[in-house]
Amino acid sequence: MKLYSILKQSFRSILSNKGRSFLTVLGVIIGIGSVIGLIALGNGVQASITDQISGLGSTNITVMSGSSLASRVSENGVSQRQQTGTPGAGLSTPQTLTKEDLQSLDQVSTDLVKNISGTVSSNAIFKLDAIEERFNVAGVSPRYFQINDLPLSGGKYLDLDDIDRNDNVIILGDSIAHEFFDSTDIIDKTITVQNTEFTIIGVLAKKEESNFSFNNPNSEAFIPDFTALSLFKTNYYNSFTVQAVTSDTVEQAKSQIEDIILKNHNIEDKSLADFSLTTAGELLSTVSQITGVLTSLLAGIAAISLLVGGIGIMNIMLVSVTERTREIGLRKAVGAQTTDILIQFLIEAVILTLLGGIFGILLGYAISIGASRLLDFSGVVTMDAILLAVGVSSLIGIIFGIYPAAKAARLNPIDALRYE
Amino acid sequence: MSALIDLKNIHKTYKNGGELTHALKNIDLTIDKGEFVAIMGPSGSGKSTLMNLLGLLDTPTNGTYILNSKDVSKLKGRELARIRNKEIGFVFQQFNLLPRTTVLENVLLPSIYGKVSNPSQRAEFLIEKVGLKDRKNHKSNELSGGQVQRVAIARALMMQPSIILADEPTGNLDSKKSNEIMQLFQEINKEGATIVLITHEDEIAKYADRIIHVKDGEVTNIENNK
Repeated sequence: MKLYSILKQSFRSILSNKGRSFLTVLGVIIGIGSVIGLIALGNGVQASITDQISGLGSTNITVMSGSSLASRVSENGVSQRQQTGTPGAGLSTPQTLTKEDLQSLDQVSTDLVKNISGTVSSNAIFKLDAIEERFNVAGVSPRYFQINDLPLSGGKYLDLDDIDRNDNVIILGDSIAHEFFDSTDIIDKTITVQNTEFTIIGVLAKKEESNFSFNNPNSEAFIPDFTALSLFKTNYYNSFTVQAVTSDTVEQAKSQIEDIILKNHNIEDKSLADFSLTTAGELLSTVSQITGVLTSLLAGIAAISLLVGGIGIMNIMLVSVTERTREIGLRKAVGAQTTDILIQFLIEAVILTLLGGIFGILLGYAISIGASRLLDFSGVVTMDAILLAVGVSSLIGIIFGIYPAAKAARLNPIDALRYE
Repeated sequence: MSALIDLKNIHKTYKNGGELTHALKNIDLTIDKGEFVAIMGPSGSGKSTLMNLLGLLDTPTNGTYILNSKDVSKLKGRELARIRNKEIGFVFQQFNLLPRTTVLENVLLPSIYGKVSNPSQRAEFLIEKVGLKDRKNHKSNELSGGQVQRVAIARALMMQPSIILADEPTGNLDSKKSNEIMQLFQEINKEGATIVLITHEDEIAKYADRIIHVKDGEVTNIENNK
């Protein structure tokens, strides 16, 4: 009875000042909305990147030249570099992965891995008649296209014969093909790359572009890896990509690969390795960590607007207490206790902020849906975020409502009744 | 008849800045159950202070106030609120009703803060008694001045209090409406309610059984009207 009548009274007083209540609540709406919206966007970005990484293949293991940054700058890293005699100083990545390393990976059981590919990539000048432009060229093994899921729109893939013969053959990404040729019938035509003539044997199908892609195959060209080694006058690969048979064999394959290359490089201590292995899972957890921190940061900034909204609530509650001084006096005269008045005004403040919370959730949804339309990922509004918003908004109501409510409750009934 | 209200040697002083104001001096007063008493005096005479003390909105600086055989002069806020709710029905001169609230809800107001059996039923009965049956769902701002006072009287009766305290209840009404309201008070009094009326108008005071004249914080004269 008491609670019902207090709630009824609170809604009545909020509704009797609709415009004012709305403007007051707007601060909380914006605060809660931006917190939820930004958390949703953060989750969306994370989900999108996770998808991309999974798209790269959750079973992929990447072997990169050079040790991790941490060990490179440490003293051990320096001595290790001197030991192995790898070129490169400072923070630039020393190249350490050789043709022999790649071939030795054939030792890994075929029960564990299904595809192995090495990549030698560099920027090169492409030339055809008068057109001259820079693109990325990747020297790859035939398996590369399977591992990375790159279908052809015409022509054929590289085969082992091309590799063994060091053939000057090239597969163009969709964008490059359009850059140099008007027609689509370009198989067996030639193009000059780094002053060497290459025969085009295939063109890749256009790949959906993504904001979060690590490389864009549309503007990349692919040549046999051995050809690339001689073209770029290097003995080293940038990376190997190994595809495990299933996600269960990833860890086992990883440790075998590590052992093999360590042995090749005559390194006994794993911490001194001059290469690094990354599995898709590890990449995922790193990325999740980074996006998680970014999301919290954004939400934290948005939370400041919540604070401002809370101050707005306090302000309007103070106005309301002053306006309703005589009502408070009357209530006290007919027997309302100090706590009755306190609770009444506190509930009113909490209702205001809760309304803000509810509309804020809707605004957050709108932000996340709007962002999904504009960007190529969709926001994810989680139950956690909603509960957080409701909790935080009621908490704000209590924190910023308590002072005005206490002020109302402390009023002396005689003074309150006489208030003009 | 037993004394419902017994004031003994009541003093009330206020500190206004550095200045001490003696609002009530040595008041001795008894009011019996079922009486209709008017307290009269010019403004500044201390009659409002007396009414605040009687209504337990304030406590005396000195002296004892026995209400219903209980010493209430030393009670604190929580207890005072409880006794106000149970024992005292107020009718003020103005701002009697909650804004934007129906007649029924206004009459029910004291029952939010205390216990009474069948509150809705009692409220309906009282609204009918003060002649506003057809207006029970009207908002307070849709009522005339006389109707507002009727609602206030119904509210004052809600908790079956020991006394009805009416502070200039006809102050904002024309003489016709004033007489109607005073007749309503008389009617309630005949049914057993104890009424204490504060006024500065002889016309209004004459409805009471006894008129207590107050001046400069002291009772100057008690006049029997019946």
